[in-house]
Amino acid sequence: MDKQIFTILGTDEKISSEQIRPGLTYWKDAWRRLKKNKLAMVGLVVIVLVTLFAIIGPWLTPYSYSDQVVGFSNIPPRFELIDADGTYFYFNGSQYDLYSSTKDGRLLEKLDESSRDIVNQKFYFDLDGETVTLDYSYKLRPELADEGIDYSISFRGVEYKEPMGTVGNKLFPWGSDEFGRDVLTRVMYGARISLLIALIAALVNLFIGVIYGSLSGLYGGTVDNIMMRILDVIDSIPLLLYVILIMVLLDDNSMFTVILTLGLVYWVRMARLVRGQVLGLKNQEFVLAARSLGVSQNKIILKHLIPNALGPIIVSITMMIPSAIFTEAFLSFIGLGASAPQSSWGTLANAAVAVFRSSFYQLVFPASAIAVTILAFNFFGDGLRSALDPKLRKG
Amino acid sequence: MNYYIRRVVSAIFTLFVIATLTFFMMRAIPGGPFTRERSLPAEIEAALQAQYNLDAPLLEQYAEYMIDLVQFDLGPSFSLKGFTVNQIIAAGFPITALIGFIAVILIVLIGIPIGIISALKQNKPIDYAVMIFATLGVTIPSFIIATLFLYFFGVKLAWVPLLFNEDNFVTYIGPVLALTGYSVSFVARLTRSSMLEVLQQDYIRTARANGISEFKVLSKHALKNALIPVVTYIGPMVAAIMTGSFVVENVFAIPGIGKRFVEGVTNRDYTLIVGVTVFYAAFYIIMVLIVDILYSFIDPRIKLGKRRAD
Repeated sequence: MDKQIFTILGTDEKISSEQIRPGLTYWKDAWRRLKKNKLAMVGLVVIVLVTLFAIIGPWLTPYSYSDQVVGFSNIPPRFELIDADGTYFYFNGSQYDLYSSTKDGRLLEKLDESSRDIVNQKFYFDLDGETVTLDYSYKLRPELADEGIDYSISFRGVEYKEPMGTVGNKLFPWGSDEFGRDVLTRVMYGARISLLIALIAALVNLFIGVIYGSLSGLYGGTVDNIMMRILDVIDSIPLLLYVILIMVLLDDNSMFTVILTLGLVYWVRMARLVRGQVLGLKNQEFVLAARSLGVSQNKIILKHLIPNALGPIIVSITMMIPSAIFTEAFLSFIGLGASAPQSSWGTLANAAVAVFRSSFYQLVFPASAIAVTILAFNFFGDGLRSALDPKLRKG
Repeated sequence: MNYYIRRVVSAIFTLFVIATLTFFMMRAIPGGPFTRERSLPAEIEAALQAQYNLDAPLLEQYAEYMIDLVQFDLGPSFSLKGFTVNQIIAAGFPITALIGFIAVILIVLIGIPIGIISALKQNKPIDYAVMIFATLGVTIPSFIIATLFLYFFGVKLAWVPLLFNEDNFVTYIGPVLALTGYSVSFVARLTRSSMLEVLQQDYIRTARANGISEFKVLSKHALKNALIPVVTYIGPMVAAIMTGSFVVENVFAIPGIGKRFVEGVTNRDYTLIVGVTVFYAAFYIIMVLIVDILYSFIDPRIKLGKRRAD
């Protein structure tokens, strides 16, 4: 074809017919507003980090959650080292253990105690044939009170009183528990359990809750009435009774019980919410139109009703997740959830309560993990609520 | 009237469902009175025999179980020889109830006022401070509050004794604090948001336009409606405090029902576990019933069949 017959008209007209800004869909608009909410974004980032911590973390540590390093129990994340002229010692006052260490805080071995002098509070340890003397009498003798120290270490004839300072624990960055297990690894596995619970709560809500609620709302009348009365009964029985019921029936006291319980009863609120939404939506014209075109009941629910109620559903899920994590931690704490050696955040906190006077760090890590995760989900859920709620929309 | 009858009937029905569930639960208990391999001490087994009338047909057993339950007879304990679950509950309940009662009073006296103040000073520093504390309060589980309290005030500062003592008032501070933490925050948040919503209503503007003093507008017109959702929360709040007691009593070594329950879980004392749970479930359902009936007086719309919004 001859190109000569075509001429360029110029680009002005095309430009004028184009939209200046691309149109915003509901979800794009919500995302735009969510991004502006700093707390919600912090929450989102924390959720992503906790997820990475749970999924990737356990691959990066040399321990598994049940690995016990014999002799290395209740070692805090930071400790005082005594520098005995190039040989380094760490004394764990909570259980009278003496360790040799490298300068940067990598414990080498737990020293064997060869003998002890109870009256004078002197303990003798053996390091490759040489004797290390630990003098723990400073608090007992009033004349030594001025020294302001708890103990001293004598090695090769010299007494060392001043620690060289505190160093980080290189073997166990978050310390070890009473069985010599790595707290960091156990908190990571706890994160796996908590996120698994979160995932299950979300899935159960999404499938059972949404389907039950939309069926109840769509059919209405007697069906709705019966379905709602069933919910009332499920709802009025305390969660604890379900957990115990399932525990007794299965004779099983593990994570599985908690997961099954949450799966059985955790969708009730969502069902109520979706029912309310469906009741509002089902009389609108687009549903009538779909019906008159002969669209099946299932398709009306899946393609017409649920997509229109998706905003409140998603918000509700992000609000249910922290409450599920909370519940699991509570149940594990009172001994109804994960059992040893499994480590959920609740069982970790429970075990730490027994030793919190001497090993406070064992409580701090799981407790902060619970609080930070729940807080992050709450912030994110709040942000999502204001981003998706049309009533709160501004310009 | 119809409404009250409906509510009472549904509460009784729920209690009936719970009782039936626990009956089958007791039958399914491993090593319990209904299984073949028994490893129970002879005294307890004899007591169980007497309790459950094991040779009778199933329906008769069920009927007897129900009659016992109606008479609040929860059977012998598996692990504490010679004690019935009733005795254990009777011994532990007063202390649990006392701490719970103090907690409920404090929640109402602290949570509602700070919620109102926060709503009136919306977006001012005091509002932000209240909201930060309220958010932290609902995110930190009570067992963590309890242990942190013991560590800092008991161990580090040594201001309070570590062991709970019924006669020493100072030792009540920690348990009450741990129990109230969640609910105070929740009540404050709830009061704040419902107050903010009510203050935007037309009738408040009308009241102001009529020249009614600001104090009267708030106390007589706004507060009355703003507190309705807060009253609704009181039923579930009792539940939160009850479940909180499982944890708090264990941390503070308080000899209440919660501590016995957790010990029961560790010892696999199924009759005790089931007994305490049934007791709490019944208590909870009755509390919710009372709150619902009170609620219908505060908000007459409820009686007209409009269901409470969840």
